[in-house]
Order: sequence, then C-alpha cells, then structure tokens
Amino acid sequence: MGRLLEVKNLETRFHTQDGTVHAVNGVSFYVDEGETLGVVGESGSGKSVTMLSVMRLIPQPPGEITNGEVWFEGRDLLKIDKEEMREVRGNRIAMIFQDPMTSLNPVLTIERQITEVLELHLGMNHQQARARAIELLKMVGIPAAEERIDSYPHQFSGGMRQRVMIAMGLACHPRLLIADEPTTALDVTIQAQIVELVKRLRDEIGMSVIWITHDLALLAGLADRIIVMYAGQIVESSPVHELYKNPRHPYTIGLLQSIPRLDEKQRERLQAIEGLPPDLIDYPTGCPFAPRCRFAIEKCWEVDPPLEEVSKGHYSACWVKPEGAEIMHQWHASNTEESQ
Amino acid sequence: MPTPEQLAIDRRAPLRVSVWQVRWRRFTDFTRRYARNRMAVIGLLIVLTWVVVGLFAPWIAPYGYDKTNYNAANQPPSFAHPLGTDALGRDQFSRMIWAARTALIVAPTATVVGVVLGVFFGLLAGYFGGWIDEIVMRLSDVLFAFPGLLFALLLAATLQPRLAAWLSQFERIKPWVRAGYVEFFVVVIALSLVGWPGLARLVRGQVLSLREQQFVEAARALGVSPWRIMWQHIFPNALPPVIVALSMSMGSAVVAEASLSFLGIGITPPTPSWGAMIYNEFASWRSPSAPWLLWAPGLAVAALTFAFNFIGDGLNEALNPQDRLT
Repeated sequence: MGRLLEVKNLETRFHTQDGTVHAVNGVSFYVDEGETLGVVGESGSGKSVTMLSVMRLIPQPPGEITNGEVWFEGRDLLKIDKEEMREVRGNRIAMIFQDPMTSLNPVLTIERQITEVLELHLGMNHQQARARAIELLKMVGIPAAEERIDSYPHQFSGGMRQRVMIAMGLACHPRLLIADEPTTALDVTIQAQIVELVKRLRDEIGMSVIWITHDLALLAGLADRIIVMYAGQIVESSPVHELYKNPRHPYTIGLLQSIPRLDEKQRERLQAIEGLPPDLIDYPTGCPFAPRCRFAIEKCWEVDPPLEEVSKGHYSACWVKPEGAEIMHQWHASNTEESQ
Repeated sequence: MPTPEQLAIDRRAPLRVSVWQVRWRRFTDFTRRYARNRMAVIGLLIVLTWVVVGLFAPWIAPYGYDKTNYNAANQPPSFAHPLGTDALGRDQFSRMIWAARTALIVAPTATVVGVVLGVFFGLLAGYFGGWIDEIVMRLSDVLFAFPGLLFALLLAATLQPRLAAWLSQFERIKPWVRAGYVEFFVVVIALSLVGWPGLARLVRGQVLSLREQQFVEAARALGVSPWRIMWQHIFPNALPPVIVALSMSMGSAVVAEASLSFLGIGITPPTPSWGAMIYNEFASWRSPSAPWLLWAPGLAVAALTFAFNFIGDGLNEALNPQDRLT
C-alpha cells in the first residue's frame, strides 16, 4: 500500500476581530491507498478545518494556512496554483458535507449538478454526462434513476440527498473521499445505510476515505485507523481495534467512557468529560487538555507533550500515558459495585 | 450490486431520455404553472395586444402620426376620428396607436439594460466583496442620492442636445438624428442608469446570503471555478426577486418615459408618446374641453404598467421551484 496523502505540520489560523484563532496547530497525518481513516473530536476541535485546509477551501480572509505541507500524488497541494487545485478538487479528492439538505443547490436539477462535474473534469458532452449520471445514481441506490434524475433536491429525502452527494463526489472516481460528518444530520437507520454504501463503494472503486465524525462507535466497523483531535492537535493516533482496546490518551479514555453501551448489565451514569475545550484565541501553553485531565501532572501545564509511539503504530501525546484499558476496567468495576 | 462494467466510465454510453424531451416537459410545466394565475394571463394578453398594435401601427392606424389637417382641428370624437383631433388636426386615435411603439421600445430596452447592469455589478460586488464591492456600492450610493426621475431628467436634458449635435456632423447618421432616434437612445440611457443601482443592491443582498450556503462550498469542493459558481449556482438562486423587479421596473419605466415626455425632455413631437400627448392636451386651452385626450393616453400607460406587474407576479410563482407540486 502506497502513501496517498501525507500532511505535515499543518497550521491554520483565523484572523478575527477578537484575535487570532488557532484552529489547527501542527497537525501531521497520512492516509494510505485503500485505507479508511477516522477523525474524531468534539465540535471545534479542528477536524473540519483540517480537512478544509487540505482541500484549500478555507475562506481567505479571514482564514490563513500559516504553515505545513500537504503531499498528494507527488505534489504539495498548498504550493500548486488555483487552477491546478481546482483540477484536484472533485476529480482526485472529493468531499461530502454534513448536511445534505443544504449541500445541494435548490434551484438546479439533480441532473445539472451531477453532469457539471463530469463535463468539467472528464470533458464529457451533455449526453454522455447524463447517461453516466444515471449510472451513478443507480450505483448509490436511487430507485428509478432515469426519472428521478430530473427532479429537484427538495423532492428527495435527506438520505436520498446524501446518496446524491456521494454520487457527485464519486462521479470522477476520486482517489480520496473526505466525508465531513456525512451522517450526522440523518436518522440512525439511514446512517447505517450510508455507512454501508460508502464501505461498498470504497472497496469497489479502491479509494481511500477520511471519515470525520464525533461518533466513535460509528467508526468501529468502518475505519482502519483513527486519529483523535483536541484543540486543533492530534492527541492520539492508532489502529482502530487498538484504540478501543487500549486507549492511551486521557481524552480518548474520556470519550470512550462517555459512549452508552448496550452490553453493560447494570444501569449506570454516563461519565462526561468535565469542563470545556480551551479558548483557541488565547491558546494555552502546555497540554491543552490539562485543565480537564484527571491525570495531569505539573509538567502538563508547562510543556505541550509531543506525539510519541506507545506501541506499534499507536501514538499518544501525553506525558502520563495512562493504561486506558486498566482504567476503564477499574472504573466500570467501581461503578458496578456502587450500584449494587 | 453494480457490475464492474457499470462502474467503468463509458464515454459512449447510450442516451435513454432525450434532452429535448426533458426540456419540453419542463416548458409545459412552466406554462401550466403560469396559467394558474389568471391576472398574469390577462397581463400577458394586454402586453401582447399592445405589441401587436405597435408592430402593425402603419396598417391599424387610420392616419399617419404626423398627418396634420388644419380643416379638422380641435374636433370632438366622431366616426372619422374616434378620439377627435388636436389643435393641429392630427388624429388622436392614430397617435395613440403609434405611441405604443415608443412605449414598447423605450421601456423594455431601458429595463433590460438596467437589469443587466444591475445583475452584473450586484453579482460581482456580492460574490467577490472587498474593493470591488466598495466601488460598486459607493457608485450606486451616489446615484441613489438623486431622486430617480430628477436624475433621469438632468441626464436627458444635458445629454440629448450634445449627442444630437455631435452625431449630426456625420452625414450618414444625420437623417436618423432628424427622425428623433437620439431621443430614444438618450431616454434609454437615462432610465437604465437610474434603474441599475436598485437592482445591484437587491442582487448583492441575495448573493451575500447565498454565497455562505453549503451548496456553494460543495460546488467549490467539486472544483467549480468562481466565475461558474457565480453564474451557474448563485445567479439562478437570486433570480426570482430579479424577475419580479424586472417586471415592476418595466411598468415604472413606462411611467418614467411618459413622465419625461410629459415634461418635454424625453420623446418630443412629432414622434408620438403617451406622455407627450398628455402634455399637449394639458398645455393648450380648448373649448369645449376634451377630457378624453387626457384619459386615453393615461389609461394606456396605466394598463401597460399593471400588465407588466401582473406578469411579474405570474413569473415569480411559476419560476419558484419550492412551489412546484410535481
């Protein structure tokens, strides 16, 4: 498996009236070919901004990518000119967004919106593009695609619209699909269908997927590797099963403890992470998670811990590196005792 | 489960439904929705009637618009002259008919030029923002500072003689100047210059909210160029209010042209204009009085103005995809 995308030391800032927002702070990660990378973190942790920076879709001003490299197919995407970047977007890297209700243009037919990409990147004429668009709609499971293609977005349900978005994203057979919380606005059964659809298409087309979400449970059956983001940094990066089995960053442990589990025998209170994420304008020195951390030691307040390998392929940015498995076991044990 | 063949990009894939079939269906859909609004249909009929009258004026009108007959001056309505004659013995009914030409040339041209300018600058200002926005909006502020009709009046009054004098030096163009075409040109320029800032603001406001929509970001993520996003994705969304404004300003352009002509600045006799006719009858003393000479052109202006507004409403309903029940 070759490297498809490699992001090095990415930094994105937003210059606002209240000051500079440190949205992404030295993020480095990679995606291999055919691999699915899950990106987890709470709202405002920089997941979306990181991916928008990769796509160079940050509005400038107020945004600015102040540092970093984005290597994709032998080029640094941050260095190529605008026209070249437009060729990459939609063609080599596609992106689908959170809310399918607003991601489609309400006054253009589905046909117009899908054929546009095909005409733009593959130089098809309108007839070819239309025929191809119908195939794409069938591929993503839209029934009666020949008739539905001339509909307007408001004639589709949310799940169907997300399928259309996926069809648009996959129209040119991109190497990489960036899915920015694509199921958040959908109900649970539709969510599962969309996840299954992306998995199937990923395997058929052989593309890589970056799946942004705040739902750790959803990634278990989907991702190969997961990175956890907090305050614009990657705090933990691990193969998927290792992360669930043995989380090493206190934030990840907190996240896992806050997922309700059906296999618990006893009813118990969910453990929430106390406090709020740091102010990204007045960025703290030291570990950004320290104020909320149960394990914080003095060093945490002074020096920001680097991402270090704790076991093969498993990285964590923490001075303490508590054994997550042990803690969670203990915690569950104590909770069960209390409730008995 | 699609087969690998289905997934492969086949550039020679056969077409199942013809594009023209789809377009035809969309057109019939549109006419059906438009026809649901009865006033809009009536408005369209009124405008079409005037268009036909204007087009075939030489055949419909019993007399020429500049045909004077001093033996039949100041006549009341009769079979020979359904609306009587003026002080120069010109048949008023014929002049009414010829004047439809003037109204239907000046008002739509001025409006279309104004709307094109307004949409173009509004889109630019709204989408790109920054210094482009500043320039366009300050310019429109300056134009807004004058009352519309006064500004048009100033423009027409200062522009018209100069332009006419300048164009008269070219032998080829001279007869055109004599025939009064410069007046048309000047009135169109004056009205469109007054009209565009309002439209630019309307469009800019629309664009400002539309450009933040997620579908614009989605289009950017698909590699669509800014220019294309502006025209293909944002412009159609801003269209319904533009269409309403278009029809409304058609109506007000008819009134504005009549007003300019009434004030003696726009179209001047012998070229017939409803506004100039009203002025003519208004200015000359006559006994017994002839109120129909005011009413007839006045009613014509009113009918055309209302008709354009009704059409605007009908178009708005028919074009708005949210209302479609298909």
